[in-house]
Amino acid sequence: MEPAAGITLDNNHKLSLKELPYLIRWRDDRCKRCGRCTAVCPVKAIEPGVRVQRVTFSEGPVPKPGSQRRVVHVVEQVLDAARNCVGCATCSLVCPNEAIEPELNPNNKILHYKNTGGDGYKRGGRRNDPSISVLDRLKFTRISMLTDPALDAGRHEFRVRSLLGRILPPEELPLKAVDGRLIVDSRAGRFIPPVREIFPIMIGSMSVGALSPPMWEGLAMGIAYLNEVEGLPVVMASGEGGMPPRLLRSRYLKYFIIQIASGYFGWDEIVRALPHMVEDPAAIEIKYGQGAKPGDGGLLMAQKVLKLISGIRGVPQFVDLASPPTHQTKYSIEEAVAKMIQSMSMAWGFRVPVYPKISGTKTARAVLNNLARNPFAAALSIDGEDGGTGAAYNVSLDKMGHPIASNLRECYLDLVRQGKQNELPLIAAGGVGKRGNLAANAAALIMLGASVVSIGKYIMQSAANCFGDEHNRCNLCNTGKCPRGITTQDPKLYRRLDADIVAMRTVEVFKSANTELKKIFAPMGRSTELPIGMSDGLSIDDKAMAERLGISYAC
Amino acid sequence: MRAKKNMEVESKRPETKAKTLPRKTVKKTATPIKTAPAPKPQSAVEHVSDGCVLIRGIVNGHRTPSRILEEQIQQMIQDGARNVIVDADGQHGIGGRIWPREDAVKITIQGTAGQRVGSMGFDGTEIVVKGSSSDDIGWINCGARITVLGDVTNGAFNAAAQGILYVQGSGGARCDTMTKRNPRFEPPQSWYFRNVGDSFAEFKAGGIAVVCGVNPRNPDNILGYRPCVGMVGGTVYFRGNIQGYSERDVKLLDLSDQDWEWLTANMKPYLEAIERTEHYGELTRSINDWKKLVAFTPQEKAQKKKYKIDIKNFRKVGWDKEVGQGGIFAEFVDHDLSLLPYVTTGNDRRNKPIWANDKYAPPCAAGCPSHIPSHKRATLIREGRLADAISLVLEYSPLPATVCGTICPNLCMTSCTRSHLDAPLAIDKLGKLALDIPAPKKADPTGHKVAVIGGGPGGMSAAWQLALKGHTVSLYEASAKLGGKIEMCIPHERLPQEILQKEISRFKELGVTLHLNTTVDQKLFEEIYKNNEIVIVAIGAHQPRKIAFPGSEQITSAYDFLRSVNMGSAPDLKDKKVVVIGAGNVGMDVAIEAYNCGASEVTAVDIQKPAAFGKEMQAATAKGAQIVYPKFTERYDAAAKKLCFKDGSSMDADVVFMSIGDVPVLSFLPPDVHVEKGWLQVSDLGQTTDVKVYGVGDATGLGLVTHAIGQGAIVADVVHYQMAHAPRAPEMKQKIAYERIKTQYYETCKLEFELNAEGNRCMSCASCRDCRMCENTCYEQAISRIDLGNARYEYVVDENKCIGCGFCAGICPCGVWEMVENV
Repeated sequence: MEPAAGITLDNNHKLSLKELPYLIRWRDDRCKRCGRCTAVCPVKAIEPGVRVQRVTFSEGPVPKPGSQRRVVHVVEQVLDAARNCVGCATCSLVCPNEAIEPELNPNNKILHYKNTGGDGYKRGGRRNDPSISVLDRLKFTRISMLTDPALDAGRHEFRVRSLLGRILPPEELPLKAVDGRLIVDSRAGRFIPPVREIFPIMIGSMSVGALSPPMWEGLAMGIAYLNEVEGLPVVMASGEGGMPPRLLRSRYLKYFIIQIASGYFGWDEIVRALPHMVEDPAAIEIKYGQGAKPGDGGLLMAQKVLKLISGIRGVPQFVDLASPPTHQTKYSIEEAVAKMIQSMSMAWGFRVPVYPKISGTKTARAVLNNLARNPFAAALSIDGEDGGTGAAYNVSLDKMGHPIASNLRECYLDLVRQGKQNELPLIAAGGVGKRGNLAANAAALIMLGASVVSIGKYIMQSAANCFGDEHNRCNLCNTGKCPRGITTQDPKLYRRLDADIVAMRTVEVFKSANTELKKIFAPMGRSTELPIGMSDGLSIDDKAMAERLGISYAC
Repeated sequence: MRAKKNMEVESKRPETKAKTLPRKTVKKTATPIKTAPAPKPQSAVEHVSDGCVLIRGIVNGHRTPSRILEEQIQQMIQDGARNVIVDADGQHGIGGRIWPREDAVKITIQGTAGQRVGSMGFDGTEIVVKGSSSDDIGWINCGARITVLGDVTNGAFNAAAQGILYVQGSGGARCDTMTKRNPRFEPPQSWYFRNVGDSFAEFKAGGIAVVCGVNPRNPDNILGYRPCVGMVGGTVYFRGNIQGYSERDVKLLDLSDQDWEWLTANMKPYLEAIERTEHYGELTRSINDWKKLVAFTPQEKAQKKKYKIDIKNFRKVGWDKEVGQGGIFAEFVDHDLSLLPYVTTGNDRRNKPIWANDKYAPPCAAGCPSHIPSHKRATLIREGRLADAISLVLEYSPLPATVCGTICPNLCMTSCTRSHLDAPLAIDKLGKLALDIPAPKKADPTGHKVAVIGGGPGGMSAAWQLALKGHTVSLYEASAKLGGKIEMCIPHERLPQEILQKEISRFKELGVTLHLNTTVDQKLFEEIYKNNEIVIVAIGAHQPRKIAFPGSEQITSAYDFLRSVNMGSAPDLKDKKVVVIGAGNVGMDVAIEAYNCGASEVTAVDIQKPAAFGKEMQAATAKGAQIVYPKFTERYDAAAKKLCFKDGSSMDADVVFMSIGDVPVLSFLPPDVHVEKGWLQVSDLGQTTDVKVYGVGDATGLGLVTHAIGQGAIVADVVHYQMAHAPRAPEMKQKIAYERIKTQYYETCKLEFELNAEGNRCMSCASCRDCRMCENTCYEQAISRIDLGNARYEYVVDENKCIGCGFCAGICPCGVWEMVENV
């Protein structure tokens, strides 16, 4: 409707500040109007503006009005649901005078407005759940002092290692004695599944494309350093979207797990690189689901598909790249698992462990039981609801998925019932290190039954200072406007990020995780083998959770 | 575990019983000093000589509990014994805790020494173990000198703080762990002749350990597996091969001269004590046979590199070498690989400002169908060029006083940004001021000939513009007067005739050839078409539209009624009830004139929300006109004077006028000029299907007078370029967004029209007012004003200073600066 004749509309249909998730606290007295904050705001949620102040006063013994009017320049918040402040605080970061800061508005109603144009709210990041997760409620309560005996993490040598790949039971292993030692007889005519010894925390799948070049390269370089210099066999999964050809042809390939997902991006380039590979990859991960957004596919927007992405993914520039939620030619567990695992194993002559990754779900056990019967299945990776993503519908992020703890636990106990808990490793992910407790969360998952845990957000935070948090801070990963340069293909932004520092921080993270895992395992009397499934060491302060996880209740 | 087995449970062995029991055959490896004949009963303590006693650990075959043995030793020393020989049977802690006496006390242990020999030993205590000893010998030693003529097992000298341990043989695992040095005393010393076991010197915090490496059990590694873990102080001298040490904690060094001096000096008493003096030469043969391990100081640790290889170096020697120069993505990126700060300048800015002066149309010009740039008049006023400000409008309209100043609904003012603050700029008054201004100067004649058919506002506008540009214009008008519907149909009450006539006479000054009273028919059109380069059809709409229903033949059209009024032949409507079908602005004019003709009551009905607005509606309703809708007329009963509607209602209507619009009469046009549904079909630029023929005004569709004037001007422009063989479309600027105009700078004022004040009331939307606000605001001093001469100027940005903050755009009063993505 048009305004009535002669009437100018003012605040009609304008949002009030109270609707917005973050409120800009700007201090007039500190600001020198240098414009650094408005220059860096990734969403243009703040802009320079003009305000008028008018004071009427009276001086003298009788009413004698005067008035003073001042027009000043300010930095103001935009009241637009499409440009709401996301609380990233890049403004605060660059402000020389501590004059500006976003403040969380816990009573915000922004989700009511994030649907302009009739499309649902899409974002990156995490589930936005600030409550304490089950992983963080798990405690290690079986402490050895005079029993077991006590071990000293600083003094004792530890082997914090896990096995990725199917481990045949001893009776099925074709063993023979040579010079008084048992060795596996590779000529016995029996298929011996490939197994890798790795550090039990790995970097989960984040694609070239989802991550910026310096972020991906920094992580990869850190992984190479950890293996080559520190002797810590940490592996990293590529994510969907191909692998840099230079890496495919390098010796370092053995530290990387290559992911194949429903878009199959970059796979022709990977296949073409096969004859030139000097090393096999650590493993192949077949992605069927992602914990953060079960059943939601991915879309890399055309504006991100520049020379780099086009080259690595083997697609033309400036096209949308859709990864559908499902693989198009696979319609059942049997078909999907058998067909994909066989194909991927065959590509590397059955020398490389191949395992599927699914999102946390009540149906995980069905998948697991199928894998248990498949001799080529190397593991099962389960990604719980607290996992992160570069882009998804908010509804998928917030409401879809299964928490990892009980999902993993029931899968592990299923294996135990079949006597196969030492055969098929489980990889757990989703919310590991959500509150910074990387080693504790990893150890808890290991003791619930995981052989390996996988991290994503934690390393983004630790290695590259990601702004995101559980209050929907920043979460701009999907927009290509990542102020930290982590999830963008815009050189102006990603050149803020130093790959060397990302690599260095990655090294520090894993070195310290290694120490911290020892600090957990040593007092529990474990030093030689990873305490996979050692659930008698765990307790939780909630009876129902304790019962569900089959662990003790402690308070 | 072996240690546990040796532990005794004393309560099970009452001492009274033990004393009476005969000694049984004892299996011992060590040779006792004194052997008593078996059958003779033994006493627990035996005086050997003055000051020398023998204490038996096994009396008549019964082992003395550790507690009792300890009591006996303490008692003997209390009683003056200074030389105590203990014939031990694994008792705990023999020789420790002997408080300082004037004389030295010597404890000689023969037999099986138990755990923790000499533990908590004091200065002045000398302990000699004639053979090997068990675990933890010298535990928390506080000064005792302990000599072991054999091996020591695990944990020897653990936590020793002072004193000496001389070992003739080897050490077990975890020897010298947790030793420390108290600054009040000399550091503890431990000497091992052969080698030591695994985990040697863990957490050593002080003291000197010497491992001589003579005839070692493992010649490849005399310090065992992983020595010195957690060691923070003290020194380990050793001679022989080792296989690693805790590199995190200690460093391996050659001996200094001071070290050598100390070692060779202290070697002598050691070798004497362990009865191996013959090895002195071998052990002091060369300083180079020895090495030492010393702990890093906290300062050294703090300075120690956290990484084995610096990550930058790893990139060089590892990563780039393996994957290729520049890393894994180098082949795909074409930009500089260096880092950027968050705040950038030049090409690295994410956004950059543009001084978009006059890029957009201000709301007044964008809202004006005649495209009159009123903001430019304000600029001229501010510059003091008042006459120019007033006459500027004539470049856009031949009828400013008539239209802008009088009859126009002034959409420019409705749009004016100033209305958001107080009231719009008085553009109507500015228009009226142009009444007495003479026509502008014509350009030199071009020789181009154009015909305009129709002398209404559209035709006059086109003719005016073309004549000003120097073209030869012939204007054909069917009636006797110029002005078209303005002249014929607008109530004189709303448009004083003198204003219109004055402007028409100004129009005539331009020398347009007028053909009044000339109705153009097919034949004449052909002639005009032939004799002119361009024909502009601006005949208006003069055929009233009518809808047929029973009684509609009794109804007069608005056109005929209004025209009759202006021609002076108005009907008498005294005390008549009048109904007007159609409540648009023409309907309002009808209502006004009906009242003027004496009507007692006028009601306008419409099928929808009335289109009437502005002055017409105000004037009509002021006179009492009622507007009723929605009403669909069914019939008019002239006899009953009733107008009946489809909803069953009816209205008293002595007279009914139908005001539902007029249509043009275009029958004179040749078929080449396309007419659709009665209207001349034209493009946005007024072009018809014949390139020589243009259409303007109501002939192409009903509109306001200002629309016709605007279309006339556009067509004139298009025609001008077409005749010059340089066809082009006139530039149509996008309207600037209101948010970009910073109304905050302006103070609300009381509204009394004053020409000079209007210049400053104008907010100069989208047009730089040269206030230098941007230049003053830019923190980086990136904006400069450049004087281009002739009162022209521009503002420029130094991109090496600009950070793209957007302050210029955010604070520009006129919205001239805009931020664009820097690509």
